[in-house]
Order: sequence, then structure tokens, then C-alpha cells
Amino acid sequence: MFKSLLVAWKDVRLFLLDKGDLAFSLLLPVITFVLMYGAFGGQNRFHGTAYIVNEDNNGYYSIMLIDRLKANESLNVVELSTGEANRKLQKSDILMVLFIPDDFSEKLSDGETASLTFKQRGNGGQEGQIVASYIRAAVSSISQELQIQHGLQKTFSGQIPLERITTVVQKYIERNRNHPVVEIEENVLGSQPDPVNQFLPGIVTMYILFAITINARTIVEERKKGTLERLLTTRLTPGQLFSGKFLAGISRGFIQTIILFLLAWAAFHIFTPVSFLEITLICLVFAAAASSLGILIATVVRSEDAATWTAVFITMAMTMLGGTFFTISPGSLMETLSKISLNTYANIAIKSVLIDGKTVSDVWKEIVVLVGASVILLVIGRALFRVLPGGKR
Amino acid sequence: MVTPFLIASHLYKSFNHHKAVNDVSFTIEEGEIFGLLGPNGAGKTTTIRILSTILPPDKGEVIIGGYSIKEHPDTARRLIGVCPQDLALYPELSAMDNLIFFGRMEGLSGKQAREQALINLELVGLSERAKEKVEKYSGGMKRRVNLAIALMGNPKILFLDEPTVGIDPQSRNNIFETILSLCDKGVTILYTTHYMEEADRLCQRVAIMDAGQIVAMDTPYKLKSQIGDPEKTTLEDVFLKLTGRTLRD
Repeated sequence: MFKSLLVAWKDVRLFLLDKGDLAFSLLLPVITFVLMYGAFGGQNRFHGTAYIVNEDNNGYYSIMLIDRLKANESLNVVELSTGEANRKLQKSDILMVLFIPDDFSEKLSDGETASLTFKQRGNGGQEGQIVASYIRAAVSSISQELQIQHGLQKTFSGQIPLERITTVVQKYIERNRNHPVVEIEENVLGSQPDPVNQFLPGIVTMYILFAITINARTIVEERKKGTLERLLTTRLTPGQLFSGKFLAGISRGFIQTIILFLLAWAAFHIFTPVSFLEITLICLVFAAAASSLGILIATVVRSEDAATWTAVFITMAMTMLGGTFFTISPGSLMETLSKISLNTYANIAIKSVLIDGKTVSDVWKEIVVLVGASVILLVIGRALFRVLPGGKR
Repeated sequence: MVTPFLIASHLYKSFNHHKAVNDVSFTIEEGEIFGLLGPNGAGKTTTIRILSTILPPDKGEVIIGGYSIKEHPDTARRLIGVCPQDLALYPELSAMDNLIFFGRMEGLSGKQAREQALINLELVGLSERAKEKVEKYSGGMKRRVNLAIALMGNPKILFLDEPTVGIDPQSRNNIFETILSLCDKGVTILYTTHYMEEADRLCQRVAIMDAGQIVAMDTPYKLKSQIGDPEKTTLEDVFLKLTGRTLRD
């Protein structure tokens, strides 16, 4: 066992000394993270733009509505002229615009029903639909406030001056806004459910799988160069050499995992100390499965090119099947196929801890699958492992 | 009568019906430098792999230091040092680190491996550049590191598979001196080479292999005597007479 550890340590040293390999293993995932960060702006919440054409110029209630929308942190409000809005809609530069008619404030003041119009291309796009729901919520709030105000005005008509009723209603509404009767608290365990959390596990497992399986190439190179053969002329047994290579793969994957997750934590402020440890443990088990797969590739293939292309093919197939870049619908054919991919289980386990706030004990099934796959691949690899064709096992 | 240190008897090894080693037998006395000569593909490297316990023979037996490699491979392997034809080392590591790593694989402790590495590097004349990465070394220096690694387990018998291929005269001379000093210390050596003058200079006995078989085995002087005046004939003349002038791949 001690000699196996020495073999693994030597391989880890070679990995850390090889700048190209190190760059591939660490820099590429970091670049992917940076691209993700750029794409999502590092924001944890939805952020969309509300395009508005306000034909009710200087209208009290249209200004109130726009001010309320501007106060919403999730919205950026852009006011357009009618012609400009129609032009942009025609060119699909924007997919949805809110039109406030010129009689909007007047009708509301008179206690009449006013209308707003969403003009959109198709279904208005996902962002447009979310923006529309924010606008509907703001309009609904204004509508309720006005109904209360008009009800009180009718009830106390002649007894209390209208201005006094308006002032008191506005005062209470303001107070309720600042101190709502029902408060909504967001209590997210471990991290926020944002796109970074959705993609991070898949990207990390993809690169770990790629780095470890492509490591099969170095074993083939060593075999070709004669260092593996030479090691077997020492007192190292083939079993110790095999174990050493397996441990080297795990160590390499583990180092990569730790560095990538530390960078992810620094960039995105995700993880609690406990979830970090739990995810690290899951990645350790996944690295063991990937290491077994890498050794099996090295055992079967005979050339460096064959090792590289096998690793690329397996990684790409597993990336597709494992739901790295898209969510796999439950009950679909894809879900059935995804069960043959190792990183599916790692992705599910990591996402469960990262997004759903679950613990390692909640994802024991996925961990058992990864451990089982690791053992099976290792047993097959050991049975086939030979340093020389016709050589000893 | 003294028992030979290495006894190889009736070794056979085939790959896909190709007989790489076909009934090879020889013995090497303790402290002897024994040359194994032959053209490319003659079966020299396969023979060394069998003797090194890496490749099991299809038939035949090898006894090293009194231990059968079939029955006591681990004990036999403790007596062996192998310097392969290719540079089997890690160029990204320093010479010192390479030697320490292989020393640890031979079962030495960290301290023992370091001490042995210093001794071996001194022996091959690389003490002063011990901490440099091997990838920065010249071809000759790499060959010397290759040899120094083979000595890490303090072997009683050393298999040297063409240790001087493609190196400068200084490095070649250093390797010769190292081999002779090991011989003085009682180390038994099996030496393969394409350079006939090396075999003539170093080896007490040589075996010439061709097509997996030993076609001649004796002292260089006696082999030369068989085809002419030993003072005027070279070992290369013997070699070409026995193995022919046909080009080999």
C-alpha cells in the first residue's frame, strides 16, 4: 500500500509540474466559469427590462405605476415613444411592450375601469412573460388601493373632505408597504438557486471526468516509454502499480475539485462549510469512479491517440447524458439513457446538496451507484491490466 | 565446482506464433561480464525480459542466485537490476528524485534511498547536477542516469540492454568504467550491445543470438579463433559470418 501511495504521489507531482496539463485541468474550467459569470452577470435573481410607452403624459396614476416598477430591483424600466416601440417590435429587438393609454389616469380618477395593453411578438419571450407578471402585480396593487380609496370616499362622502381621505389612505398604504402584515422570508440553505448553481456541478464533473480519463494517455505513454516495465523489475508488484495509478487518478481529480470549488466559492459565494465538505466527499467518490474508468481505458487501448479519443468520446457522451448543460425531463427517454452515465449521479448528488440543501445521507443512492461503478470498473481493469502484452498481471 | 549465478535453460517464448526465443540456454558465473549479441529482432530484449521476471517464458527455467524465478520471483527480483534499452525515467523530475523514487520502489527507506542515490550519482559522474531536471540533460547524461537507477537496489546481477546507444565517447567511457568497477565489486553483468568492440573489450564470454536462438557462445578470443587469426579478426567478422549480411528490421 505504501508503495502504491509513492507511485500516486509521483504522478501527482508530475501533474503539478506539467504546466500544460495543469492549465488544461484548471484554466479551462475557470474560463468556463468566467463565461458563465459574464453570461449571468453574477446575479442571483431575475433581472429584466420593462419597455413602456406612456401615452398618458404627466398622468398621476401612470407616473405612479412607472415609479413602482422602477422601485422593483428586478426591473429596469425603459420608456419608449409609440413609433420607436412599434419599430423595435417589428425588428424583434424587443418582444414585449406595455402601452399605457392617454386616458389611463383620467378614468381611474373618475372611478372608471381603465385598461393597459401588452403588445408582444409571439409569447413575448421568457423574460417578457416574467416582466409582465411584475407589471400585473404592480397594477393589481394600485387597483386595490384605488378601490379602497373610492369605497371610503363613497362611504364618508360629505362627512370627511376628499383630500383628507386620500391623505389617510396613502399614509396607511405607505405604512403597510414599509411594514407589511405578511412578511416573506427567503431561507436558502447552502446557496441560492441561481444559474451558476445549476451549471457548476455539471461543469466541474465534466472537467474532472475529462482530466482523469485523458490521464489514460499518460499511462499508455509510460507503458510505451518503458517506465511501467522498469517499475516491475523493482520490488513493486503489478497490483501495487495498478493501485498506485488508481490512487493517482483520485488524487488528481480531488486536487482539481478542491481548487475549482474554492475558486467557485470565491467568485460566487456559494457553499456553507458543511455543504463544501459534503460536495467534496461526493466529488471524491466520483473521482474514484472516473479514475477506474481511466485505468480501464489505459488497459484496453494500445496507443496514446486511441486513449485520447476514447477519453474525449466518453466525456462528451457522458456530458450530454449527464444533464451538464440542460435539465433532463423526468420520465423522458433521455432520463433513462442518462442512467448509464456516471456524471448523472454525481450531478444529481451535488445539485441536491448545493441547491436543495440536502445532506450526503439524502443522496446515498447516488453515492452507492458511484462506488459500485468504481468497484466494477476496477475489477475489470485489474483483470485486464498488463504492462506488456503477454506479461504478468 | 562453483554453481553459476544465473542459469537459463531451454527458454521458449512466442508471440502470435512467432518464436521470439527458441530454446535458449546459457549460464553466467558470479562476477562475470557476459555479452549477449545479435542483430535486431534476434530475441535479446525478450530474453532479458524473461530473466527480469517481467515476461513469463512459455517453457524453460531460470535460476538466479539459487532461486527459480518461477517459484521465488520476489526473492530472485531482489538480486536483479535492469537498465533497459529505452530511457525509462521521468524527465520532468531531477536525477536525484528519479533515483530516490526507484530506490523507494526497491524497498529502501527515504534516508537509505537518498544515500544510495548520492553514491550512484557520484559513480556515474552526475553529483554536481543531481538536482537538475533530467529533461535538461544531454543524451549521454540521461543514459548515465538510466544506469544509476538500475543500481538503486544494490543488485547482485545487472542486465544492461544496450546502455551506450547514441551517446558521446565521454559518457560511453564513464559507463564502461562504472561497469568495470561494479565487476570488481563482484556484481555479475549481462550486457547486450550492437557495438562489437564494446563486447570484445568488456565481456569475458559472449553469446551470439539470431532468430531466437544462440548460434555461438564462447570467449571473444576463441570465437575469433574459429574463423581466423584472433589477433587480426574482429568480433564483428565473427558476428557477420554467423548471422549473415542480410539487413534486419
